[in-house]
Amino acid sequence: MTSLLDRRTFLKGLGVVTVAAACGGAATPSPTATAVATKTATAAPVTGTISVYSALNQSTNDQFFAAFKTAYPGVSIDLLPLAAAGELQTRITAEKASPKADIFIGGSSEFHDPLGKQGLLEAYISPNAKDIAAQFKEPTGLWTGWYTGIFGFISNTDRLTKELGGKKPSTWDDLLDPAWKGKLILPSPTLTGGGYIFIATQIFRFNRDEAKAMAYMKSLHANIAQYIPTSPGALTLIDQGQFVGCPNWSHDILTEKSKGNPIDLTVPSDTGFEVGAISIIKGTKNLAAAKALVDWSITKEAGDLNVKLSNRGSTRTDVASAPGAPSLTSVKLVNYDRQWATDNKTRLLQMWQTTVGL
Amino acid sequence: MRSLQREPGVLLALLAVVALVAIFIVYPQVRVVLTPGSAYGDFLSAGSWVRPLGNSLQVMALSTTTAVLIGFVFAYAMVYTDMQWKPFFRLIGILPLLSPPFVVAAAYVLLFGPRGIITYGVFGQTPIIFGLLGIWGVQTIAFFPFAYQLIADVLSRSDARMEQAARNLGAGPWSVFRTVTLPLSRPGLGAAILTTAIYVLEDFGNPALVGGQFTVLPTQAYGLISGFGDLPSAAAVSTILLSLALVLYLAKIRLDGGQSFVTVSGRASSMPRPPVPAWLSWVCFAVCGALCAMILLVYGSLVVSAFTLTFPVNTAFTTSHFEYVFSGVNGVALRNTLVYGLTAAAFSSLFALLAAWLVQRGIWSGRRILDFLLIMPAAVPGLFFGIGYATAFNEQWMDWLNRGVLIIISMIFWNIPVGYQAAVAGLRQIDRTMDEAATSLGASSLRGFRDVLVPMLGGSLRVGFVTTFVRAVTTLSVVIFLFTPGTTVATIRIFQLVNDLDWGGATAFTVIDIGLAMVALGAMAVLARGRIALGASRA
Repeated sequence: MTSLLDRRTFLKGLGVVTVAAACGGAATPSPTATAVATKTATAAPVTGTISVYSALNQSTNDQFFAAFKTAYPGVSIDLLPLAAAGELQTRITAEKASPKADIFIGGSSEFHDPLGKQGLLEAYISPNAKDIAAQFKEPTGLWTGWYTGIFGFISNTDRLTKELGGKKPSTWDDLLDPAWKGKLILPSPTLTGGGYIFIATQIFRFNRDEAKAMAYMKSLHANIAQYIPTSPGALTLIDQGQFVGCPNWSHDILTEKSKGNPIDLTVPSDTGFEVGAISIIKGTKNLAAAKALVDWSITKEAGDLNVKLSNRGSTRTDVASAPGAPSLTSVKLVNYDRQWATDNKTRLLQMWQTTVGL
Repeated sequence: MRSLQREPGVLLALLAVVALVAIFIVYPQVRVVLTPGSAYGDFLSAGSWVRPLGNSLQVMALSTTTAVLIGFVFAYAMVYTDMQWKPFFRLIGILPLLSPPFVVAAAYVLLFGPRGIITYGVFGQTPIIFGLLGIWGVQTIAFFPFAYQLIADVLSRSDARMEQAARNLGAGPWSVFRTVTLPLSRPGLGAAILTTAIYVLEDFGNPALVGGQFTVLPTQAYGLISGFGDLPSAAAVSTILLSLALVLYLAKIRLDGGQSFVTVSGRASSMPRPPVPAWLSWVCFAVCGALCAMILLVYGSLVVSAFTLTFPVNTAFTTSHFEYVFSGVNGVALRNTLVYGLTAAAFSSLFALLAAWLVQRGIWSGRRILDFLLIMPAAVPGLFFGIGYATAFNEQWMDWLNRGVLIIISMIFWNIPVGYQAAVAGLRQIDRTMDEAATSLGASSLRGFRDVLVPMLGGSLRVGFVTTFVRAVTTLSVVIFLFTPGTTVATIRIFQLVNDLDWGGATAFTVIDIGLAMVALGAMAVLARGRIALGASRA
């Protein structure tokens, strides 16, 4: 009966930040949130209520928005938490006659970009965006990327040792070994953001030779027992040892491991990553407060807080990654062209469906 | 019922029902189906829906057969046998309806997956539960309660005197069953088969979680939206589902033709049913026992998960998950869940009864259309019902409308089919002379309905109430497009926790949600006792 599945929540929270940007532009991060708050309140108070659609995890939401409140005491947030970026995207589209949200935060940029193309987002280039590299933001400011997530590989330690001699994959090609047959799962490429990023990663790995990438996906298909409708759901199955391994999000694998599950993380070389975004919904009734939230989420303090809460990375170079977590510089990444991957999503997914016969 | 012109009250009621159905069932679906840029032709001619259609039909045939069979045995056991533990079985028989998304299906995998606690842990087997077999098994348990409730309602209203008469004339128990009991239960059986088949067709959650590569129409539609952002093609899939529901509906009309199933006429019967042979009671007991053991195992694993740190890795006892559930906005979500569910159930069951009376007793053209429209929501995946409402009722001039009200309205109309089917089946059993006696004594048709028929339809009313309530408190897909920060509900919170990989929190929330729902149902049962003359004492 009910249910939608969702796609994972891709993002997690923002960090605490200080934003001097609210004072009018030149962002000079203050040392502490309190200091900033004072400054903000006196110099250019932003007030009112904004409605936020958040695809961030629950645990991140609580602390992230509390920290924002500290920085901007005049702004109150009506939070609609739904850890399913795809549903939020559909919702925003369905509500276009009378938008109910001011901000859409969290979820890979693939969920924000189509909204921008439909004219449902308000372009805004935050002064703080100067600290964010061009590959992490939409050039006209329709969305801004503030965190990153790297695709890795989770394996069930017990079963990996017993059934595969403990050998973890060092490249994605290692997964084609017949020893993996029936022991691998993958988040569904059509139902999850991560599953699609996995396919796009293969295409970039083969220098955009789509035929080779599809041949890889077809061989891999022979080893895959199931495509799982949500990324977190796939992690649970590996925790339980129902299957042995699964390409999935590094940060979530680390979080699961920290709970004592018998699992481990590896990051095969030439992997892909996501950029988590924030965007302003067109028709917002409180543009100033919406802009303040965007400004704040891309500060160092917001980045630090999010890294701590979610094990994800930041799009800022001055934010260190979580202990034990891979970073964009510590692993070998493919040359991931996000715009191309987003624009070609439908075509590539259809090609994949035809290739594997699903 | 007299002609409409002579009874303005009835005419008004009819117009009101038609208007409500048009606004809240038809209009939102039209908005979905007429999504701008509809690429229907392209999608239909590409033919990617053919295999999911075949799969859907296959699953429908299998799951409906087993669910109705089990539902029949269960209903027969409750109404006819004098086996023990009936109240217990009745309670457990409702549980599968109370299955918030994700959590229950995930529990099946935990217990019966390739490394399931039962399958591998106890029996050392590594079954492939993902695919057709998994869907079949899970759906059988998930949907048998619909069949059970509809059939039990009809069986309990059948007249024991007919069976006694047959026995006195020398018929054995089997031939009484075959020639009296079974034929008289046909309205319920037909309603049960139709409703179960349509719900199976529409089911998204179970195929998504245990279906693996076995794509059915609802999972295909979801994939089209979430993977391709292709609402028009998804709407085309939804239209295929509606067409299938229409075919099933027409088939049912053909099958039960214009036959009479009247079993209640005039005087109430106090005669006991003929005794069921002891061995048959035992068989029924065994079937019900096995089924309930299975259900208890699944729900028991949720309770255990809720009280352990990280089941099954760390089974240390804890109450921390419950402490978390009772903090923050979770209390609001639980309260909303109960308020919305109870309000929707009350309105939905009463509306269903009124509509059933207008359709079943009325003599006006277009009855069949209204009849189908009231069954149709069962065939609309919750996803489309929610998107339809979000699209149709999210206009600026409607912003004054409280979202909680809109959510309640969506629950009323999405869940109307079962209560409606129960009421129609019930009315078909009650002789028209009953209400005609009232009208010939000078009462209006409406008064005859209120004072004569409604009290006799207590069982149907209860079926409608229970089904709407449990579906309302466990639905996610409809609410997900409608809820606002102040109108969040339990399933939304559970969904958040599942995605946060917080299995303990999700199961604790589920246990509380189900527990509250059971308490609410129990309280309603106590309140209703005695008020509804014929319904309260029956199964």
